[in-house]
Amino acid sequence: MFRNNYDNDSVTFSPQGRIFQVEYAAEAVKQGSVVVGITSKKHVVLVALKRNAEELSSYQKKIFAIDEHAGIAIAGLTSDARVLSNFMKQQCLGHRLTYGRDLPVRMLVDMIGAKAQQNTQQYGKRPYGVGLLIAGVDEQGPHLFEFQPSGMTEEMVAFAIGARSQMARTYLEKNLELFADCSREELIAHGLKALKESLVQDRELTIENTSVGVTGFSKADDGSTKVEQFKVFDGQEVNAWIEGVADDKEAPAAEGESMEVDG
Amino acid sequence: MDHRPQAWGRPRDDIYGAYDGSYLQTSGPKQSTQAPVVTGTSVVALKFKDGVVIAADNLASYGSLARFTNVKRLRVFLDSSVVGFGGDVSDMQYLDRHLNELAIDESYETTPSADHPSPGGTLNAANLHKYLQKLMYKRRNDFDPLWNQILVAGLDSGSKPFLASVDLRGTAFSSPSLASGFGAALAQPIMRKYAATEEDAARLSRDEAVQVVKECMKVLYYRDARSMDKYSIAVVTKDGVELKEDEQLEKQSWAFAERIRGYGTQTV
Amino acid sequence: MTSIGTGYDLANSIFSPDGRNFQVEYAVKAVENGGTSIGIRCKDGVVLAVEKVVASKLLKQGANKRIATVDRHLGVVYSGMVPDGRHFVDRSRDEARAWRDTFKTPIPTADLASRMGGYMQAYTLYQSVRPFGITAIVGGFDSELELPVDGEVGSGPAVGAGGKTAGKKHGGPFLYMIEPSGLYWGYYGAAAGKGRQVAKAELEKLDLGGSGELSLEQAVKEAARIIYLSHDDVKDKKFELEMSWISGADGPTKGKHQEVPKALREEAEKEAERLAKKAVEGDDDDDDDDDEDDDKKDGDKMEE
Repeated sequence: MFRNNYDNDSVTFSPQGRIFQVEYAAEAVKQGSVVVGITSKKHVVLVALKRNAEELSSYQKKIFAIDEHAGIAIAGLTSDARVLSNFMKQQCLGHRLTYGRDLPVRMLVDMIGAKAQQNTQQYGKRPYGVGLLIAGVDEQGPHLFEFQPSGMTEEMVAFAIGARSQMARTYLEKNLELFADCSREELIAHGLKALKESLVQDRELTIENTSVGVTGFSKADDGSTKVEQFKVFDGQEVNAWIEGVADDKEAPAAEGESMEVDG
Repeated sequence: MDHRPQAWGRPRDDIYGAYDGSYLQTSGPKQSTQAPVVTGTSVVALKFKDGVVIAADNLASYGSLARFTNVKRLRVFLDSSVVGFGGDVSDMQYLDRHLNELAIDESYETTPSADHPSPGGTLNAANLHKYLQKLMYKRRNDFDPLWNQILVAGLDSGSKPFLASVDLRGTAFSSPSLASGFGAALAQPIMRKYAATEEDAARLSRDEAVQVVKECMKVLYYRDARSMDKYSIAVVTKDGVELKEDEQLEKQSWAFAERIRGYGTQTV
Repeated sequence: MTSIGTGYDLANSIFSPDGRNFQVEYAVKAVENGGTSIGIRCKDGVVLAVEKVVASKLLKQGANKRIATVDRHLGVVYSGMVPDGRHFVDRSRDEARAWRDTFKTPIPTADLASRMGGYMQAYTLYQSVRPFGITAIVGGFDSELELPVDGEVGSGPAVGAGGKTAGKKHGGPFLYMIEPSGLYWGYYGAAAGKGRQVAKAELEKLDLGGSGELSLEQAVKEAARIIYLSHDDVKDKKFELEMSWISGADGPTKGKHQEVPKALREEAEKEAERLAKKAVEGDDDDDDDDDEDDDKKDGDKMEE
């Protein structure tokens, strides 16, 4: 039944010092559809490809708001993601209640890291079968984190996880230098282009299967910077963005001036 | 002779009467702190253009006895806020330790170093005040209050001067000038003459504010029998905290005392 | 490993007939795959350093710290499975806080090492858990001064906090290394992870020990040099060097655990890179450590 004697549970090391159950959980992440995240100096965006179980069914949500200043994109077991997402929402609200501020993003990420690690060191538990990209802003600026079932969390400039995400990552690596100074709109365009790299042959981005999440800083009327609340965009809201990166279109947002420069 | 361990070291009942152990009763409702014991008196604070001035004397009283004369009641938090304590000194010490742990917690995320000399953390005075309010309110709901009134001085998230108070009931409020204890009656009217509104406070210079607060400390020393003429004063601005803990009230004039009538054995 | 497949290695806390706990030995393997970390205890402080292999270009530079502050005067670095290291750090912080709650004073480095050694050991005792896949290096500077008791707000008792012998030297820099078994020793120079063999050989050459004369600033430079030297250019290309230090109250960090300032780190790195290059050109057959070649799949990168 098992591939070897060492992969029955998450409390057994293999002779090489590996924990197979945790590695298998990481495979579950690759079963999920692809999600991409990118940061600039002022914004962080999440972009996701949604899947539907069958032609007539609805599409599974991939991006969720956690708090005013943070959101996640998920790849893997959705129900595991919901457990983590509820936990993160509670932590953010609790922190806001006691301190009157946004929970710093790294603190939030460390919390789920610690929670996931426990599941890899105690018998009777299993690792979470989901990977996350966590996007958020705090006093230090915009942040993007990757979370793995092992409990590993790392801050990234840009990243992609899920099925066929390697192609998206290649795109991100190629354009890595451009992101820092991108406007909000340019950043979303890069996210969608990275996402397209990971599409299977003959599939297209549509308003049904594409989801975008954004947070960042914007200029208030009095000149001070304020946090742009994390928001998920679906359906018609993403139409213009998808058209903006359509194949037949000469990508206008790739270099030079964008159509909409904020702040 | 009573040889039971309970009676060890006790004065003899036949001479001194039975020991009144009623306060040790294990039945009946649980009782926690019913009154402060060693106490600090007023804390006064005033906002100005770029920050806040806060002061408190260095006395801890045991009832009417001036018991400890070198007690620092202003406490710096993360090099960016000052907390001033009135009320019970042991509860203040508990809170001091608690805030120490909070500051260490906060430094985990942003380890301070020579490159980031700024506070090891981003918890500002407004955040700290909110936290203390929750803490004090919880303790009052547990019927085990921390017997203090606390002033928090510093900057808020928009780097504007921040000053607020929280007391043993968890009641919290904010004002351009604040004073706890006796100061609420004696110092507030003086400070309000100079800064009745936020706008007034925003026009005050640092020197003016320091002068007003020093004046308040003097009036309090004149009138408050639980006060002392050695005090601490701190100025919080964007550039950090300047704390002086060994100040002496200057230019005291007790001439007014001659004119006071109506107390003690005086009849005229 | 001869006893693989005999069944005694399938669960934690099981002794084999020859008295070994295989699961602990396998945990050590996880450490041996991790990036090198070292600690140096010199006359006036402690330096911690770690080689962070950069697995992806997309990682944010300098953002993912591996050296953690446990209390103001205490730092921890580890090699092996990073999430396990985070767990270790969280627990260390809890211990340091609990100590403060009880004794109203910072935890001495030796006591933290003892408590954490006990904690790691407890994870070798039960079938319901697995051992930690890390080796942790704990560095601290116990104050040599008369410290105020936590919460002391006045001048305090004239005789001081007590517990000190007149004329005796108190406090100072300390360094401990804790292994997955829970075993720990005090060290002058400690190394764990991939490059520990090379690192150990280099640490042994330093002027540490009893009357060692190496200064803290020199130790920072040596730490950088050793990490660069122990780095395997062939297996892992890019890496980041992270360093922290702790001096006494009269030193550069004023008794606190802090990141080494950028200017000093970069200076040390520049020299280290030059020396490492020279060493490679000098002799080519000196870099063989005992890594088993088990390249991980790119799936889950717990170690780095």
